[in-house]
Amino acid sequence: MEPGPLPIPTRTATIRAWKERGGRIAAVLPIHYPRALLRAFGLLPVEVWGPPQVNAAYSAAHLQPYVCSIVGNALSFLHSGGLDVADVIVVPHACDSLQGLGSILLDFVRPRQPVFPFYIPRGRRESDLEFLADECRALYRGLAEVTGRSSSDDELMECIRREEEADALLAELHRRRPALPLSNRAFYHLVRAREYLPAETFTDLARAALDLPPADPDDGVPILLSGIVPEPMALLDSLSEMGATVVADDLACCGRRLYPPGTTDDPFRRMAERILNGPPDCTRGNSIAERLQHLIGMARRTGARGVVFYDVKFCEPELFDLPLLRRGLQEVGLPSVTIEVDLNEPLSHQALTRIEAFLEMVR
Amino acid sequence: MNPIPALRYHWNVHVLGPAVLRIQRWQAQRRPPRWDTRYLAPPLRIAPRTKELVARHWLAGRYADGYRKVAWVTSGAPVELLKALGFYVLYPENHGAICGTARVAVEIMSEAENAGYSRDLCSYARTDIGAALSGKTPVGRLPKPDLLFACTNICQTVLFWYRVLAEYFRVPLIVMDTPFVYGEEATEHAVRYVRRQLEEAVPVLERIAGKQLDERKLREVGLVSKRASELWLEILQRCRHRPAPISVFDQFIQMAPIVEMRGDPETVDFYAALLKEVDERIAKGIGAVKNEKKRLLWDNLPIWYRLRYLSEFLARHGVAVVVSTYTNAWGELAPLINPDDLWDSMARTYIYPILNRGTGHKLATMRRMVEEYGLDGAILHSDRSCKPYSIGQIDQRDRLIRELGVPALLLEADHNDERVFAEEQVANRLAAFLEMLGV
Repeated sequence: MEPGPLPIPTRTATIRAWKERGGRIAAVLPIHYPRALLRAFGLLPVEVWGPPQVNAAYSAAHLQPYVCSIVGNALSFLHSGGLDVADVIVVPHACDSLQGLGSILLDFVRPRQPVFPFYIPRGRRESDLEFLADECRALYRGLAEVTGRSSSDDELMECIRREEEADALLAELHRRRPALPLSNRAFYHLVRAREYLPAETFTDLARAALDLPPADPDDGVPILLSGIVPEPMALLDSLSEMGATVVADDLACCGRRLYPPGTTDDPFRRMAERILNGPPDCTRGNSIAERLQHLIGMARRTGARGVVFYDVKFCEPELFDLPLLRRGLQEVGLPSVTIEVDLNEPLSHQALTRIEAFLEMVR
Repeated sequence: MNPIPALRYHWNVHVLGPAVLRIQRWQAQRRPPRWDTRYLAPPLRIAPRTKELVARHWLAGRYADGYRKVAWVTSGAPVELLKALGFYVLYPENHGAICGTARVAVEIMSEAENAGYSRDLCSYARTDIGAALSGKTPVGRLPKPDLLFACTNICQTVLFWYRVLAEYFRVPLIVMDTPFVYGEEATEHAVRYVRRQLEEAVPVLERIAGKQLDERKLREVGLVSKRASELWLEILQRCRHRPAPISVFDQFIQMAPIVEMRGDPETVDFYAALLKEVDERIAKGIGAVKNEKKRLLWDNLPIWYRLRYLSEFLARHGVAVVVSTYTNAWGELAPLINPDDLWDSMARTYIYPILNRGTGHKLATMRRMVEEYGLDGAILHSDRSCKPYSIGQIDQRDRLIRELGVPALLLEADHNDERVFAEEQVANRLAAFLEMLGV
């Protein structure tokens, strides 16, 4: 169990229980992918965002030091046996570094598990939707081949509806975040459990969280958190200690994946539609203006007084957008601060001091 | 229509400019060579013409505002469509390379860094954004774009970079998304997707150009583009000859027209002339490196601000770098262009650049080059500004060494940011590598 008022199963326990029931595991790299499609083949998607604090020596044998630690750590984690439980590895295409990782896994590293790259188009046009639906179909065929199973459209739709229900509750958790009696860390433990829990388990958990008695009015400084992943999670404790409450986020692992329900009856188009209609995300081709409006809208809705951009070093998609996002936020009276981290290093005092100074400014 | 921009354009681009550039060419032809001819062949006779051709291209851009529609495009964009519609086409990557060779890139990219752009971002992008913000450029003046066209077949970086430009210039951005080819072949749905995007781009381009796309003109441009690419490939393949008539350092300089003027008839004439000169060198037994002892491959972008240094350093030891995966990229797809089935062949051509293909494909390309060009080793430039080109190099180097017995060096640098270039360290690593090669 993880800390907090809710009984959140750990990643290890979840995987063990799933395997004991005869299920299989798909290790999935960031960011967007069709969960329902994996579940239709009995594969539980377990996401690999790094993880932090691994021995990075192995990745140095394949990747240059200017590749981000999410990608480097995933490779080291694979080498250290961390992905041994996985039956397949899915590498969605989000940036040049993940593209490179997918490619060297297929061409050089060649893990024992089959590796499936998955390309996410960079737009929301009909052609993008059609391509992504075809990409889902190609993944379907690949999974059918390695698992020896198949799934009817009805079965797929059932899996999709289950994921949609979980995602609707995830969105509700985010919407009601300020009223939930959860600390920053407890809240993110809960919502990040979506990275590995089966949708139905997460749904039960989310309902339990939403049924908790409302919190007393919070006197913490309301802030938005933007970036890729809030690691190390100690960041969230530090924010609480400094008197800040993360009232909403634009994190790639959380708030950028609040996918709306689909509308069509074709399961492949529906999965594609959901991914493309998610909140703005630089890795999916949204413009800087769209991201800015999204951040401003979130801040207005939640009363956030500033934005902490918390990014992993060498993350090009994020770094390109930052100057114009920060300028745009400043123009509407929303100050921001940028913090760069390496997943293998503890949160530095320098970073904490900068966040503290920022909170003093917006308090 | 205001006649002044048109008059200004014609006067400067067709009358005054060419006269000045001809004089400059005449002067350049009489200037003593700047590179060390004790170890290197005298410069190519065509070099002053290259400079003139490229200068004319930038001159046309300088006076394009108000007269011609301007598109800023990535180096892998389907330029044939734009040329057929009469756009002036500007390549920020080429401009970045010019800034790099002119050693002004750091000053210009600092403008972007001062505006908040991280030094971890691509140095071409920083140079370009810096130029857009400050107006600084060694080519006189950059025209403002009416359109931005980014094709993801060289990297995802261009997508993020062009979105920044779109915000600054407030002009339409067309993104042509070319799914990465992990395996041997692109999937049919990926090719269909690219073709559809090409077709969808046309109405947007026509609206901005103010005219309809003429399929006959498009076919003509496609033919010219194909012919120029074929000639470029032929020139590169002449380097299979011993001694190699030109080095990759010559290729880096001579590649400008095939990148930024692909689809123009004068580019075909230019490369036909270069091929003739290269053949003359072969006939006379002239090698780019005097006393060629060893032959190498170059992988990745050039180090623009140290071309001469690297060329002379290696030539002093009788080492000729004769082939490059980078310069080859602008020729190897020529056979795919089919003017009789232009739309489908364009989709295939633009999905298959080496940078849009897997790490295994690049290794296979290097292996083939080792055989075909009789190579003794390889230098893999680990370019911190180009992740898609650089990721995979560590394994590629290891396999070249282990499986082919070819010595290979990973050289850490950056294509445009010379602050990253540690000259002493590079010299030491190169010296150790040359020792391994036995020269």
